[in-house]
Amino acid sequence: MNRNRWLNLLSPLLLLLLWELAVQLGWLNRIFFPPPSEVLVTLWNNLTSGQLLYHMGMSLMRIMAGFLIGGIPAIALGVLMGISPTVRALAHPLAAAIYPIPKIALLPLVIVVLGLGEASKIATLAISVFFLVVLNVAASVLQVDPRHFEVARSFGAQQRDLFWTVALPASLPGIFTSIKLGMGFALTLIVGVEFVGANEGIGWFIWRAYELYAIDRMLAGLIAVALMGWALTTLLDELERRMLPWQTTRTPRTPRTAQKKGTHLMETIRKWYRLSRPWSYTAAIIPVALGTIVAAYHGAFSLWLFALTLAGTILLQAGTNFFNDYYDYVKGTDNNESLGTGGGIFQGGVPPHHTLIAGMICFVVGSLIGLYLVSVAGTMILWIGIVAVLVGFFYTAGPFALAYVGLGEVAVFIFMGPMIVIGAYYVQIQQLSLPVLLISLPIGFLVAAILHANNLRDLDNDRKVGKRTLATVLGRTGANIEYYVLIIGTYLSLLVVVVLGIAPWITLITVLTIPTAFRLMRIVSAETEPHALQPVLRQTAKLHMQFGTLLVMGWLIAWVLEQVI
Amino acid sequence: MATITAEHLTMTYAGRTAQDPITALDGISLQVAEGELVSLVGPSGCGKTTLLRILAGLEQPTSGHYQIRQRDPDRPPVAMVFQQAGLFPWLTVTQNITYGLRLRGLAAAEQAALAQRWLAAMSLERFAHSYPAQLSGGMQQRVGLARAFAYNGEVLLMDEPFGALDAQTRLLLQQTLLETVAQTRQTLVLVTHSIEEALTLSDRVLIMSARPGRLIGEIGVPFARPRDAITLRAEPAFSALVAEIWGSLRAEIEQARQAELHAA
Ligand SMILES: Nc1ncnc2c1ncn2[C@@H]1O[C@H](COP(=O)(O)OP(=O)(O)O)[C@@H](O)[C@H]1O
Ligand SMILES: [Mg+2]
Repeated sequence: MNRNRWLNLLSPLLLLLLWELAVQLGWLNRIFFPPPSEVLVTLWNNLTSGQLLYHMGMSLMRIMAGFLIGGIPAIALGVLMGISPTVRALAHPLAAAIYPIPKIALLPLVIVVLGLGEASKIATLAISVFFLVVLNVAASVLQVDPRHFEVARSFGAQQRDLFWTVALPASLPGIFTSIKLGMGFALTLIVGVEFVGANEGIGWFIWRAYELYAIDRMLAGLIAVALMGWALTTLLDELERRMLPWQTTRTPRTPRTAQKKGTHLMETIRKWYRLSRPWSYTAAIIPVALGTIVAAYHGAFSLWLFALTLAGTILLQAGTNFFNDYYDYVKGTDNNESLGTGGGIFQGGVPPHHTLIAGMICFVVGSLIGLYLVSVAGTMILWIGIVAVLVGFFYTAGPFALAYVGLGEVAVFIFMGPMIVIGAYYVQIQQLSLPVLLISLPIGFLVAAILHANNLRDLDNDRKVGKRTLATVLGRTGANIEYYVLIIGTYLSLLVVVVLGIAPWITLITVLTIPTAFRLMRIVSAETEPHALQPVLRQTAKLHMQFGTLLVMGWLIAWVLEQVI
Repeated sequence: MATITAEHLTMTYAGRTAQDPITALDGISLQVAEGELVSLVGPSGCGKTTLLRILAGLEQPTSGHYQIRQRDPDRPPVAMVFQQAGLFPWLTVTQNITYGLRLRGLAAAEQAALAQRWLAAMSLERFAHSYPAQLSGGMQQRVGLARAFAYNGEVLLMDEPFGALDAQTRLLLQQTLLETVAQTRQTLVLVTHSIEEALTLSDRVLIMSARPGRLIGEIGVPFARPRDAITLRAEPAFSALVAEIWGSLRAEIEQARQAELHAA
């Protein structure tokens, strides 16, 4: 197995080597065939200058928009076609007739209708994705094993139950396959579309290189397209693995002993990754995404800066988690009985000072990224960064650990809400604005609710060990009320921002999460046992993620619409 | 009082040509009393599955009628166990077990409690959150049983539930089924191709003819309950009954084979 993997690498490497030699020895004309080494240098220069990333970002934005606009209706119609013969009879001939037309041939027509702007490019993508996905989804619904429908009916399933509990989940793998097909298709198409009448995007980058006769740049652009394709495919595979856990479990896991050597490093990385509590990263990702998308909506967006902000914030978050683990251990609040999701020292059998070192490494690397951002975006980021590092560290460390004096929620509200949102916004656009503070409030409320859900669960235990949280100070009834206030505050503050016209109305799609919010408040009002409250913690975190994702999506849609119209 | 009453059930499928319809069932009449355990045996293709599907309400008979008398209107009339377990691969074991309960709108806490109870009864606790593909055939079939028991239909319909399992697993599951039905006192209609299984599990064995399926005989099973699936086989009366049922079936099986050869 392993030997074959090396052989797989050997032939392309040999080819590249031969090419390099041929040019260096003067057998090939350097102008037409720049050597691989030169192409790599060009690629690197264009990447680090942010140019190439900018064009990749633009293409990616178009692909995403085309996908949202074309793919979502296609999935809906495809499932309907699969289960309803009437819809199928109506839609199939048309879809099947249009499907084989090379979509790039539609571009001139679309340009005539929509003009040369962003809209025609996105529309061309949307149309091609639509027809590809609709037919594939319909086919995969038709292939669902009819026995599944039988079983469902024997348990009393009605027509709509059959749709939601059988047709949809059973055809999800097929839907994913067609999304992946569509993604490859979109990537091919975007390059072609951008050859014509675009001023940015990866296709334009390549075309421009051709016009300048810069073959090395052209090849660098091609590598960039390959990288994008690879990244998108990997992302979709990962998404599929998470959304369809029953699919991947089909193949039994290879026993540990079969792999062993060489993966030791990977194992270590994976272990530390787990100990850094990756599930908590959304608490960092969502405010960064929100700040960035609001900045984009206000007219400034750089993918490169966004990626750096995200990486820096996640590192600070991971570092804070490590410190939290360490100091909770030192102060003896975590014990074997604690239900907490932390406690890597107890549960993972990791030497305590390793955790401390891991936290410091995260902080140092995060701070380096921060310093780079300061050099780009100005000293404002420095102040935000310094405060964030201090809060992160003193959250559980030191004599006045915020988490132990009942200020945990306040600190988390400010720093995992408004502070990050404003920071991410500032990085992009280099100005402060009051509206952004208001926009960030719902996220602050929700992230505080996560921490509070944790404290609600641990209320009795914290009291015993004398840990002062807002919950132990307020008592059970007060603490419950605090939870309701945080949850209701989330929705109320968003409503206010929308009514004031600061946020686009479409961000109200977050109301989809209200049923979950209600359910959580009901459980909190009824339960006091840690075991019964454990799901509240997990689901509050989930609520934060879902609400945040919908909020960011709302802004994204608003932004895309703004670009199109 | 009979729980299931069927009169002159006939089922005709359109065949390959319009002139050549397939009569799967031909005038089946039967009665099953409340709490009775009845087995159906017969050559393959004689319409056993068709009969169960009609009783489960999955199909309408061409003619004749049947009735399942419900004593408790809050309970569903029937729960079905399918040949290959028929689990939903996208649901975990627990979610599969509570599928029918969810459709009936039971409160989440009640669903969880029932799932807990039947996971324990079928020794599946450790696999509560596994997906069907991660389980062996025997475990999958236990999930199918747990799902039907949790659903708590007044009548349990089982279509060759253990047909695909190895002999040991099969014996163990038969024992489990015997013990569980003794507790729940449900009425059971079991289709099987194993005469031994029919004798082990039921009070009465109904014998069907080759297609078109008709009832050609029935045998009362004299063994007292509770029974033990393993020791039962050692009794001389057991093998005598096996031989007797074989006698009635042999001609039918021969006929079914001839018909198959003829068709091919
Ligand atoms: N949907 C159907 N359409 C046509 N013929 C069917 C259908 N279902 C069953 N049959 C036929 O009816 C007969 C009885 O089938 P079945 O009830 O599955 O038999 P058994 O379960 O006893 O093996 C078989 O000959 C089968 O081919
Ligand atoms: Mg059958």
